[in-house]
Amino acid sequence: MLQTSNYSLVLSLQFLLLSCDLFVNSFSELLRKAPVIQLVLFIIQDIAILFNIIIIFLMFFNTFVFQAGLVNLLFHKFKGTIILTAVYFALSISLHVWVMNLRWKNSNRFVWTDGLQTLFVFQRLAAVLYCYFYKRTAVRLGDPRFYQDSLWLRKEFLQGRR
Amino acid sequence: MGKKQVRPPRALPPVPSAVQDDVPLNRPKKKKPRPKSTLVSTSLDGLVQPAVHRPSEDSEQPTKATEHPEAPVQKRHRKTRLPLELETSFSQKKASSPSLLHSENGTDVEPAEEAVIQKPRKKTKKTQQSELQYANELGVEDEDIITEERNIPEQQSIFTAPTGISQPVGKVFVEKSRRFQAADRSELIKTTENIDTSLDMKPSWTTRDVALSVHRAFRMIGLFSHGFLAGCAVWNIVVIYVLAGDQLSNLSNLLQQYKNLAYPFQSLLYLLLALSTISAFDRIDFAKTSVALRSFLALDPTALASFLYFTALILSLSQQMTSDRIHLYTPSSVNGSLWAAGIEEQILQPWIVVNLVVALLVGLSWLFLSYRPGMDLSEELMFSSDVEEYPDKDKGIKASS
Repeated sequence: MLQTSNYSLVLSLQFLLLSCDLFVNSFSELLRKAPVIQLVLFIIQDIAILFNIIIIFLMFFNTFVFQAGLVNLLFHKFKGTIILTAVYFALSISLHVWVMNLRWKNSNRFVWTDGLQTLFVFQRLAAVLYCYFYKRTAVRLGDPRFYQDSLWLRKEFLQGRR
Repeated sequence: MGKKQVRPPRALPPVPSAVQDDVPLNRPKKKKPRPKSTLVSTSLDGLVQPAVHRPSEDSEQPTKATEHPEAPVQKRHRKTRLPLELETSFSQKKASSPSLLHSENGTDVEPAEEAVIQKPRKKTKKTQQSELQYANELGVEDEDIITEERNIPEQQSIFTAPTGISQPVGKVFVEKSRRFQAADRSELIKTTENIDTSLDMKPSWTTRDVALSVHRAFRMIGLFSHGFLAGCAVWNIVVIYVLAGDQLSNLSNLLQQYKNLAYPFQSLLYLLLALSTISAFDRIDFAKTSVALRSFLALDPTALASFLYFTALILSLSQQMTSDRIHLYTPSSVNGSLWAAGIEEQILQPWIVVNLVVALLVGLSWLFLSYRPGMDLSEELMFSSDVEEYPDKDKGIKASS
């Protein structure tokens, strides 16, 4: 059974990482006096996303549903979050690499092209969706029903065996 | 008399076990009553009297008895009373306790034993009633009471701690300030029961409560960002139109004045739009596409607001390039300027229109949300009973499989 204190701690960490992500997304374009600053911000953002992915998977592994062997059920329930997080992580790294590649020598240079603008829009939109879905999943995983046996789970298990 | 009945076993010096073992074999008929007498005798002395007697103790025990003149009277009185309590729980063990006899040789106990055996059966009800009072964790359990002496070889008795026959007492010894103090069992039971009930009444803080409180906290942040965003967007568009002058005649002034403000505002707008969009999605439970789509088709104000926020977000992000261009503004006369002469209006006009549209969308969303500020489908669906939720998912799984 998930302890309340542990869950509070994990949830705080997740929200902290989400806040980091949102902050970098919002102000990384502004904080570009030196290319190193932007590079560090991008690295922090990518690590935050990676940590969030690790944490959410650890939370999945901690559920009774997962331990009962119903991985498919868990994936089906949170597939939106898993896919979106993966897509967002890929988009973020692509954008970061592209932007840093263009701005490394002169951070105040006008680097925008249509391709970069498109990638930027998609990455930022994915960030909002990722934030929403991730937050929802993190909050939902606090439901005690994921951590105990239930009639519903037994039905699912029987269906899975067939 | 009772003293005499009790004392003979104690007075005996330890006998080699081989000799003792032979005794019961010779007189097997007396096995059954004798354990009873030993129970009585040992329970009379309580914890003080050891079950296995050493020769050194034999000289001490009689002196203790003489020090307390009323002791023999109590003993005699208890002799008839205490076995009654013991009878109910230990009658089964009598048969298995002939070994107790081995160290005892009280042969003239039989008449008293008969009385002892008969009386307990009459008083079992009383003893059961009294035992019912302790029917909780502080109560006396049969397992806790040692009824028979351990069949320890006599030669080891010198080195082992004396094992007595225990019995339930009305007191509980509670450790207070490194000392055990006797406390009344029934009072202690009452106090512990009160604690239990108070604990039961206290609502426990579960993970669901944590999740719910976090969700509500974020809704508060979202509520703040909705209003702040609407205000910021309106202020921004007012500033732009004021700086641009009548019929956008003074665009160079706008660029010069606004270039320091363009990028910070763009960043702030994204932050607030992201927060507002997430909050609006939370309200319509966007993850449940069917529910969100249904409420959108029903022209639910909250669903419309979330759609407007998302549109505003896309429009705002699409102006990132222009914002950066404004941010890097230098007059066209300066070498390497991004702003060639004559293209100012061509670039700025759509940008101003988009900003105007964003301000309108954000303002409208705020109005729509304020129409039903308390609406939150996520909280209703996520934190309510899962009875409704799981069947939906069951259908989904069946459909997918």
